[in-house]
Formats: sequence, C-alpha cells, structure tokens
Amino acid sequence: MDDMRIVERTVNTKASKISAKGVQVHYGATHALKDVDVEILENTVTAFIGPSGCGKSTFLRCLNRMNDTIPSCRVDGSITLDGENIYDPRVDPVRLRARVGMVFQKPNPFPKSIYDNVAYGPKIHGLARTKAELDEIVETSLRKAALWNEAKDRLASPGTGLSGGQQQRLCIARAIATSPEVLLMDEPCSALDPIATAQVEELIDELRASFSVVIVTHSMQQAARVSQKTAFFHLGNLVEYGETGQVFTTPQDPRTEAYITGRIG
Amino acid sequence: MNSTHILSAFDRDLEAVQALVMRMGGLVETALLEAAEALDARDEEMASRVRAGDKAIDALEDQINIECARLIALRAPAAGDLRTVLTVMKIAAALERAGDYAKNLAKRTAVLSQMPQVMGASGSIRRLAKAVVQMLNDALDAYIRRDVKLAEDVRQRDRDIDQMYNSIFREFLTHMMEDPRNIGPCMHLHFIAKNIERVGDHATSVAEQVIYLVTGSLPGEERPKFDTTSARG
Ligand SMILES: Nc1ncnc2c1ncn2[C@@H]1O[C@H](COP(=O)(O)OP(=O)(O)OP(=O)(O)O)[C@@H](O)[C@H]1O
Ligand SMILES: [Mg+2]
Repeated sequence: MDDMRIVERTVNTKASKISAKGVQVHYGATHALKDVDVEILENTVTAFIGPSGCGKSTFLRCLNRMNDTIPSCRVDGSITLDGENIYDPRVDPVRLRARVGMVFQKPNPFPKSIYDNVAYGPKIHGLARTKAELDEIVETSLRKAALWNEAKDRLASPGTGLSGGQQQRLCIARAIATSPEVLLMDEPCSALDPIATAQVEELIDELRASFSVVIVTHSMQQAARVSQKTAFFHLGNLVEYGETGQVFTTPQDPRTEAYITGRIG
Repeated sequence: MNSTHILSAFDRDLEAVQALVMRMGGLVETALLEAAEALDARDEEMASRVRAGDKAIDALEDQINIECARLIALRAPAAGDLRTVLTVMKIAAALERAGDYAKNLAKRTAVLSQMPQVMGASGSIRRLAKAVVQMLNDALDAYIRRDVKLAEDVRQRDRDIDQMYNSIFREFLTHMMEDPRNIGPCMHLHFIAKNIERVGDHATSVAEQVIYLVTGSLPGEERPKFDTTSARG
C-alpha cells in the first residue's frame, strides 16, 4: 500500500486478507450498515473512524461473526477471509475467532487468574505441548501487551482484580496469545494512560509484521499514528477509505474533512 | 472550509494567525510602494523609514512561526486546517523575503541620490513596483477569499513582470552604452529592478500556496519563463 510515512517498517503489501462486499447489517428495523465494501490488507493496520453510532463496532463484529450472538442482527453481503466465505455454514465460528481475534471496547477478563486468562486460548487450541511452552506464551503475550512488569508477581491472582487499564492490556495479551491472523480492536486504549497507550500502539505496529490489525478509535491522532489505511464511517455508510496520510491531509469527501477537523456537531 | 469548529478556540487561533499574515502583507506592500516612491522622489527620509520598518516585518514572521508551532502542538490540525497552518508559514516566509527586497531597495536609494539621475529610469521602476505590489495584494486577497481563480491569474501575471523587467534591462543597457557615466547608477537601478522582479516570484509562490490550500496539491504545470536576459545554450 502507498504509505507516505518517511520512516517505515519493511512491510509493504497489496494482498487482501479480508474482503467485504455489499455488507448490510440490520438490527431488527435499524439499518446499521449500508452496502459497505472494504479490502482489509495483509500486514496492515486499518483504522475505522467515525462518529458514535455510525456502525464501526457493528462492522468489526461482522469480520469474526460476533454479530451471530445478537439475535436481532442480520448480516447480508459477502465477507471472505483468504478468499473463503466466513459466513459459509461449514465454517466453525469458534475456529474463525481464533484466526480473527478481538479486543473489545470494555475490558472483559474471564473470572480466572491472570495466568489462566492468557493461557486459556493456547490451551484449548493446542498451541502448547508442555507447561514450559505455555509459560512462555503467557510471558511473551503479557510482555507484548505491556503488562508483564505489573503482573509477573501476581499471575495467580484474579484478572478481575486488576485496574481497568491493566484489564484491557490483559485482554490484549489474551487475544494475541493464540497468534491470530487478524486482530480486531475496538477502542483498545480508551481506558489506558498515555504510556500504556504508546506501548499498545508500538505493539500494534509490531503485530503488523505478521498479522492484519483493524482498530476502531475515537482518537484521530491514534488513527494517524498507528494505521496505514483509514476508513471513515458515517451514518452506516463507508464514506471514505484510503491511505491514512492522504485521508488526514487531503480527504476527498467533505464529511470526512468535517469529522477529522472537529466540525461535525 | 467555511463551517466552524465545535471547539471555537480552534477557530480563533486559526483566524488570529491568518490575521498576522495579512498584517505582515500590508506592511510589505507599504514598504515596497514607499521604497519605490522614495527612489523616484529621492526622498532619503522616507527610504530610511522603510529600512527601519523591516524589523517589524521580521518580528511578525517570528511571531507567526511561534503561533504556528503552538497550533500544531496543541491542536493537531488535520486536512484543511493543517494546510492552513502550513501555508501560513510559507506565506510568512515569502513575505519576509519580499520585505528584505524593499529594505534593499531603500538602501540603494541613499546611494543613488549621490549619483546623476538617469532619464525615465525611476519612473519605469515605479511602474514595475506598482504591478508587483498589485500582484502581492491580489495573492493575499486570493488567500483570504480562498479564490483559486484569482490565484491562478496572479500566477499568470508573473510573466508580465518578467517582460517588464526585460524591457527595463534593455533600457538600462542603452543608457549605459550611450554614456559611461550612467553605468554606476544603472547598475544600482538594475539590481533594484531585479529585486522587484523577485518580489513578483514571491507573490507567485503566495498564489501557489492558495492553490495548495484549496485543492490539496500544488499547481503542476510549469510557469512559462520569459527572462530573455540570461544566456541560453
Ligand atoms: N445489539 C444491538 N441491538 C440493536 N441495535 C444495535 C445494537 N448494536 C448496535 N446497534 C445500533 O447500530 C448502530 C451502529 O452501532 P455501533 O455500535 O456499530 O456504532 P459505533 O460506530 O461502534 O459507535 P461507538 O463509537 O459509540 O462505539 C447504532 O444505531 C446502534 O444503536
Ligand atoms: Mg463502537
């Protein structure tokens, strides 16, 4: 992709990882997403931005079939992962969610120990053969999520006993412990202080070497800092999708310009 | 972008920094006109006022740069706002250079008033200065009105300035060949004409900033150059 950044990691791709075409989402009578087309590229951080209620989380949840769990929700159109239709009845949503991991807007640790929160995924997907291997996955995941120093002496205590920002980093560690191919993050930093935020942003940039990351954020600066592609949603429409540097210097649509410069009332 | 920010202090900051540029533009225009008039009237007092006035222009540029740095740090402008800040800085730099040329013109006035007068010379220089100041004025108007058409017009007018300069150059050459005593003053007058012509280039770059501000890209097509005084291979 045409990243305008001057200093760049050696990742550059045009290969599509997820391809969404004509995606429509209804919650009962609410038409939440209207005919959205997006290509999520490999080894790329894609930021979804837009005003509250425009459908960012809804679209993110389409990408790993989280919307299946909402009874009123109906998804139409096609979404493929590596060319494979993820809504095919033969696709197991649980396996899909191991490949397309998710970090939610609100931290939601399991009511288990810090260690078990991170070890759970690798255990059920058989990613570790020995306790030592599992220990290592837990440690590297916690380190990458910038939680290791705070958690290493209390791995056995409950995850729910951590502070809000620490819980969010625990959820990030849990999501990356299974080495997903795509990581979906819904406002992952809204409860984090600036240092933890910077650490998570650095992690996102590192993850890009091996995965695709899609991040929903209300911080324009965060979108600009971490992403190579930016998609702007407005009232259920995908208004603009382009290279992040271009979107933030010369957006093509007046609605995008109004939003990123702080002009939508 | 005409609509206002949700955070109105942001609008006030952007307006304030643009107002500084307009003030700077006004000072530069006056300096150029007065320098040309002082030359014509051999008015050393006016010339020295122009020279002293350049400090205020420089100070304004410094202030604009400081305000822009603050705006970038505190408000993280994007899109049209970002282009506004970037163009403000570039225009301030162009105006500062133009102000320097006015000062240089005024300096030469003092030297020239000790020399014999050259027939008709200061009149053509005054006409050149007027045309250039009009260009600068229109470029700044185009900036405030976000008027790409006017900016494009200013850009095209630069070729008229080049042509005026070329004919002044030939005029001086004739004077110098006619009478060697004209060489000293004509050399000074030529530098003056050349400097005014350069102010035209700065007015043109202001106009180009207007085009960038509005459209997001600098005009691509090369401006035709009509400087026939430089040797061609
Ligand atoms: N579970 C649900 N049931 C019914 N309607 C829903 C549900 N989830 C979302 N919606 C509606 O769908 C629309 C899009 O919501 P969504 O949560 O995707 O917005 P968003 O862009 O993520 O907003 P925010 O920035 O506030 O998180 C909204 O009108 C919302 O009310
Ligand atoms: Mg949301």
